[in-house]
Amino acid sequence: MYRSIRKNIFEQAWEKIIQFDWFFFSLICILICVGLLTIHTVDNSNSNYLFKHFLRISISLALFLFVAFINIKFWYRFAYVFYIGVVGLLIYVDFFGLSALGAKRWINVYFFNIQPSELMKVGVILALARYYQYIKLEEIDNFSKLIIPVFIIFIPFFLVTSQPDLGTGLFILIVCLGMLWLAGLSLKIFITGFFSLLILTPFSIAFLKPYQKERILTFLNPENDPLGSGYHIVQSKIAIGSGGFWGKGFKQGTQSNLEFLPEKHTDFIFTVFSEQFGFFGSVLLILLFFAIILKILNISLKSQNNFSRLVCFGVGFNIFVYLAVNLGMVTGLLPVVGVPLPIISYGGTAMLTTMFALGLVMSAKIHNDHNL
Amino acid sequence: MEYFIPSPKKGSESKAKVISRRAFALTSFKFVFLVMVVSRLFYLQIIKRDEFIIKADNNRFRKWKLTPSRGIILDKNNNVIADNFQVFKIALIPREIKSIDNFLSSFSKILPITNNEISYYKKKYRLHNKNLPFVLNKNLNWTDFSKLNYVIHNLQGAQPFMSYERTYIHPNEFAHILGYVSTPNQKDLNQIDASYLDVPNLKVGKIGLEKNSNKILLGIPGSAIYEVNAFGKRVKNIEKIDGTNGSRIKTSIDKDIQIYAYQQLKEKSGSVVVMNMYGGVLCCVSSPSYDPNKFTYGISYKDYDVLKNNEKKPLVNKAMTTTYPPASTFKMIVALSALENKIITKNFRHTCKGKVDLYEQRYHCWKDKGHGRINLKSAIKESCDIYFYEVARLLGIDRLQKTAFKFGLGDYVFQDFFEEAKGLVPSTSWKRETLGKSWYLGETMISGIGQGYIKTTNVQLCKMIAQFANGGYQIDASFFDSSDLALGKKIIEDDEHIELILKSLFEATNHPGGTSYRSRIAGTMKLAGKTGTAQVRKISESQREQDLKNKDLPWKFRDHSLFTGYGPADNPKYAISVVIEHGGSGSAVAAPIARNVMRKIFEKERKLNNV
Repeated sequence: MYRSIRKNIFEQAWEKIIQFDWFFFSLICILICVGLLTIHTVDNSNSNYLFKHFLRISISLALFLFVAFINIKFWYRFAYVFYIGVVGLLIYVDFFGLSALGAKRWINVYFFNIQPSELMKVGVILALARYYQYIKLEEIDNFSKLIIPVFIIFIPFFLVTSQPDLGTGLFILIVCLGMLWLAGLSLKIFITGFFSLLILTPFSIAFLKPYQKERILTFLNPENDPLGSGYHIVQSKIAIGSGGFWGKGFKQGTQSNLEFLPEKHTDFIFTVFSEQFGFFGSVLLILLFFAIILKILNISLKSQNNFSRLVCFGVGFNIFVYLAVNLGMVTGLLPVVGVPLPIISYGGTAMLTTMFALGLVMSAKIHNDHNL
Repeated sequence: MEYFIPSPKKGSESKAKVISRRAFALTSFKFVFLVMVVSRLFYLQIIKRDEFIIKADNNRFRKWKLTPSRGIILDKNNNVIADNFQVFKIALIPREIKSIDNFLSSFSKILPITNNEISYYKKKYRLHNKNLPFVLNKNLNWTDFSKLNYVIHNLQGAQPFMSYERTYIHPNEFAHILGYVSTPNQKDLNQIDASYLDVPNLKVGKIGLEKNSNKILLGIPGSAIYEVNAFGKRVKNIEKIDGTNGSRIKTSIDKDIQIYAYQQLKEKSGSVVVMNMYGGVLCCVSSPSYDPNKFTYGISYKDYDVLKNNEKKPLVNKAMTTTYPPASTFKMIVALSALENKIITKNFRHTCKGKVDLYEQRYHCWKDKGHGRINLKSAIKESCDIYFYEVARLLGIDRLQKTAFKFGLGDYVFQDFFEEAKGLVPSTSWKRETLGKSWYLGETMISGIGQGYIKTTNVQLCKMIAQFANGGYQIDASFFDSSDLALGKKIIEDDEHIELILKSLFEATNHPGGTSYRSRIAGTMKLAGKTGTAQVRKISESQREQDLKNKDLPWKFRDHSLFTGYGPADNPKYAISVVIEHGGSGSAVAAPIARNVMRKIFEKERKLNNV
């Protein structure tokens, strides 16, 4: 009886392992395997992508498990700390970061180049979830209660946009809007915001860099310039389309094997997959992603506190936005913005961030009976 | 709206409800997206599949045309006169080269090329037709070639290849008759089949036999399909279709005679044509000449200017392109025409006093003292001008034209030689239609000695004399060695006339007093023929009194020297015609050359018979 009141550490661990969602975990593992398989098909002896990808997956998985077993209360307590820490990293990057292609985005940490703007996607989720945990429904639309979220959103937005990385900046903004929507912000505010944005859009175009304008124009008519910036979209569409229903077969993708596809191991990994496994494989893969998103929804609904709920929804929405932008891009529905396919794409920080975020979801699942 | 407007009564419990409801709204939005992406994939992968498969194949398959080797050209004894030598070269594919400057500078890191060459290639490249591969005018050795092949994927747009380059074994001797090959221009491409487009290193005949027989010599290009990667590097050979090499051509030219005749023409400006009795051309030389091998990959402007500005026009084929007054070599036609039209009999006589005044104009004979009373045979033998003035005056130009046409004067001798000139045999109607003036009798008279409007090419003269020598049968001259060359229809009315003319020609060369007696050939095989001296300027009376010698005049004003003949005289086998531009009198310059060439032919003939 005594022991049952004060559970020892082993019993605590055992409870957590029982609560661990094996279905959710195996969905993630399947996606990881699909990623490894696809990266294997574009690997060659020089690049050695497979090994590096495997290494990053191992680190990310370790992080996932570590985050999952930490009580969600911890993340609630340290949500603002985490957020402020990432803002600090963003400021640091603006001054000392590694620059590539005219943008300062990375911090070099021994074996990784960390991109704080990626971490910020989780940072804003945590911060907003924490903020809205105790805001009463009736106060939520008050002007005074909107000041802090606006700062939470726009500080990272401006820091990331000034790197300059408009794509990630907009990405963060979209995730935040999703959070505000879930938190229960009135529809009126959204509509007002939407229309004021519409009025501001023509002015903001003036601030776009030439390459950003070019991307938008190219998206509107990719065939106009098939060997220039439209090349990516055109080649990607050819690769996907020529895959047909069943695909060209494992390692038989001519578009990717013969280097016609750009960025095939990162942003265009879905194209590589789709060329080899066709419509059938692609739909299966997309359904797998939706299974994860629905599982996250399921976990959040079962959570006992609003923080967990908001974090889970935020993470689910985050993954959805990744998926939507990436698939929209490779199929030519959206302009080319460098967004990886979560879990599948080769890449350091995005992988780490996604697994960290999924770890938070798992933590919410494991500790769903905990009140904050 | 209940979902979205939180009611103030609800507490933390209902807040969770709001979150859940809004999450469901968001999730349904996600499903809308799911449907969008899946239908997009359906559109791309199922509806548009075939279209994209074609596009993907267009990406990865590249077709290369394989250059067929050009047919070789042989002389009548199967000696090769135009061959193909193996060379290693580099072609640049203009489509794949963004900047020629960058290309050449990275190229120069692999193979040493001088700055002069670089600027030369740049200049040439700019003028180059960008639909065709641009071949660097540089022959590589095997070491360089293999080195280049090893690093070729770093050099986009370069295509090393091994090919056979047209090479003429006796370039100067055969330059005009064989012509040369070079990179085709747009006009050349229009003339040949579309399958020749994009064939690397394609060369077409530009002139001469190379152009005349281009289609036979070209062959059919093959092709090879390779799978390439995005950088154009060949990954896999998919398919290879062999082409057909060009067919060889056997000509009727005798290499030895051609070379010998060319040597005879050294430092002279003129041509020698030899034909057999059936029209097979044994030798057709024009001098001075040029090196057609230089044209294969584009001759330099400097070399071309030297050829172009030469007063003696080495680029012109003087046997076919240049026309000359036939002068006295035309007298056989006048005689035959008069005999056939029964204007004169073979015993017709006329008195030559060295000059005659007719129609307010004075006409001279070449011999100031005159020939006295002379018959037809002597008139031909001694080439009396006064006699033929009279015969032509009686005959009239229109009847003369008919006979000249029958013998092929004023018309093309060969088929499809664009450089061949037609020449001109005038008539009253021709003058009226072309010049709009009526014919003067004086013009008939000078036509009687082959002067005036009449213009013939050397090959026409050779064909003419061959048709006399073969007994008056029409022939079709040809450069190709073919057994079906035969005598055509008879173009004379009475054998007696021909016999008389041939006898006169025999005496002109072999009897003392004949115009070409000094150029006779001793022995059983004899030469017979007629000299001609064509004036290129009008001699005024005052100049005639000064009695200017030809050698005192500037080269350009000297007389053309002509000789047409045949041999062996008793059994004619070969006809020869020699024209030396501004050479002087026919008997002094053209006749000795004709004799030398004919003697060489006889020697060969004799050797052949002894063996």
